[in-house]
Amino acid sequence: MRILELIGGNEDIGRGPLFWLPFALVVAAFLAAPAWLTEFEAYNISFYLLNIPMALGLCLLWGYCGVLSFGQVAYFGIAGYTYGIVAGNLVGLSWGPLAGSLAGLAAAAAVAAVFGYFVFYARVQMWIVPILTLVLTLLLETFLGQTAGYQWRVGSVQFGGYNGMTGIPSFQLGSHVFFGFSFFYYVLVLVLACYLGCRMLVNASWGKVLLAIREDALRTEILGYDIRFRQWATFVLAAVLAGVSGLLYVQWGNYITPTQVGLLQAALPVIWVAVGGRDKLLAVIFGTYALNWLNYSLSSQGNQYALVIIGGLLVAVMLFFPRGIVVSIAEFLSPRRRRSA
Amino acid sequence: MNADSTSNGTLLEVEHLAKRFGGVVATDDVSLAIESGGVQCIIGPNGAGKSTFFSLLCGIQQPDAGRILFEGREITRLLPFARVRLGLGLTFQTNRTFGELSVRQNLAVPMALRSSEAEERYRYALELFELSEADEALAREIPHHQRQWLEILMVLAGGPRVVLLDEPTAGMSPEETSHTAKVLRHLNATGLTIVVVEHDIAFVREVAERVTVMHYGRIFADGPLADVTARQDVRDIYLGRA
Repeated sequence: MRILELIGGNEDIGRGPLFWLPFALVVAAFLAAPAWLTEFEAYNISFYLLNIPMALGLCLLWGYCGVLSFGQVAYFGIAGYTYGIVAGNLVGLSWGPLAGSLAGLAAAAAVAAVFGYFVFYARVQMWIVPILTLVLTLLLETFLGQTAGYQWRVGSVQFGGYNGMTGIPSFQLGSHVFFGFSFFYYVLVLVLACYLGCRMLVNASWGKVLLAIREDALRTEILGYDIRFRQWATFVLAAVLAGVSGLLYVQWGNYITPTQVGLLQAALPVIWVAVGGRDKLLAVIFGTYALNWLNYSLSSQGNQYALVIIGGLLVAVMLFFPRGIVVSIAEFLSPRRRRSA
Repeated sequence: MNADSTSNGTLLEVEHLAKRFGGVVATDDVSLAIESGGVQCIIGPNGAGKSTFFSLLCGIQQPDAGRILFEGREITRLLPFARVRLGLGLTFQTNRTFGELSVRQNLAVPMALRSSEAEERYRYALELFELSEADEALAREIPHHQRQWLEILMVLAGGPRVVLLDEPTAGMSPEETSHTAKVLRHLNATGLTIVVVEHDIAFVREVAERVTVMHYGRIFADGPLADVTARQDVRDIYLGRA
């Protein structure tokens, strides 16, 4: 019951049967994908979905905790490359991809824990944090970009420089290799778990404290909270969620390149989150899915200006819907806040 | 003032506390003992160092010299959140409720370290201040006096043993100020130690048992309310003659 209370709490868009019924219908429609989608289409939708955990992490960090990070793709890349190295060296073993996944998440968490420790325990604040996270990302891209030589390998796996790491194994549990519809379901389950888990977190007392830190860190500390620890822990959690996306990405495409942790990619999660509405999880899901779909659709039709259009959309949203499109719509549709006392 | 608020030992003590900001001496060799269960008001003209003194007590600023003791334990180098967990509570000079969060959310934030006694005290104040834990109005939208009360409630929600209130009635009407004084007296009667920085002498007369006058960062006078406020030199300071 406590879990249901936390999932159904009011720190995100949507409460009660009027929300959960349509939500269940959408999930059911996704579950019935083989009835109305080709396997190719389901595979493409997997791509739109797989970025959602990273966006949810940024939503927690930026929207709820007030810490903007341009470095989420660094953890995406760290998890992806680590998976490639571990699973690539364990080819033929059915537990290799699972070990690779756990290693990927652990690596993302470890790097975030060390980086975050120096940032938050030194009480670095304001715009310095996004700049530092961006520097981390660019350093990682620069490092990975110069790993083209044969000497840059771990075991049998080559880093590949800007050509990237290729031949990364798909995810596998036992003898089942996740591909096509099964990969789609695997992504769907993980995305749902991430969403519901984040929803529980923001509705728990932890989430209320995050909101307070975003509003006024000193006031929150003078209410008894070690805000350094809260910010650090949220940063690590966001990195793990970015790592989930990184894992799904390499398991989807079986490759990763340094471009995935470059400047352009670093900006995209910020755009997805801002366009939907950074302080609501559901808004971020809509924003991320829609923009990934738009970007893919424009690019696949040969439109050279896909990213320009995405960037223009961000500018328009910031000007006309500073809280995000989905959040603005949700607030317009919801009954006006009333004082109950 | 209240029969129940008998002095029963020193709760908070500072010894030779000093703080400079460049060439400005904000707090200069301040030594003071806050008795457990009392209501103590700190008064003085603007710039006398009262708010800096509170900042030093809560650890927002670190003193250049001196030490702070809470129940005999030195807390001078403790971080602010650790002092709050020991039992210190603070409201700021300018209201620092979370304006973009609802009243409900504001009241849900404080770390609940309440004993059953503190819980009862909080519920009592919630009722007297006529605020609701279910109120979905944004804190920035509620009337000013209620926002001031909300900040006091947020501090009480943490179950403090001593509350430091920095001008809690600033901007309130005489009726609202009087109601605030009445609630604080009730809270004090339950055993809560209260230290208030205040300019409003009528309010001070209503709540204080003991008054400390600060001037140029130093303690100019300290003693029972009637004795201190009767002094001509204290009146001169308040009227800007000293």
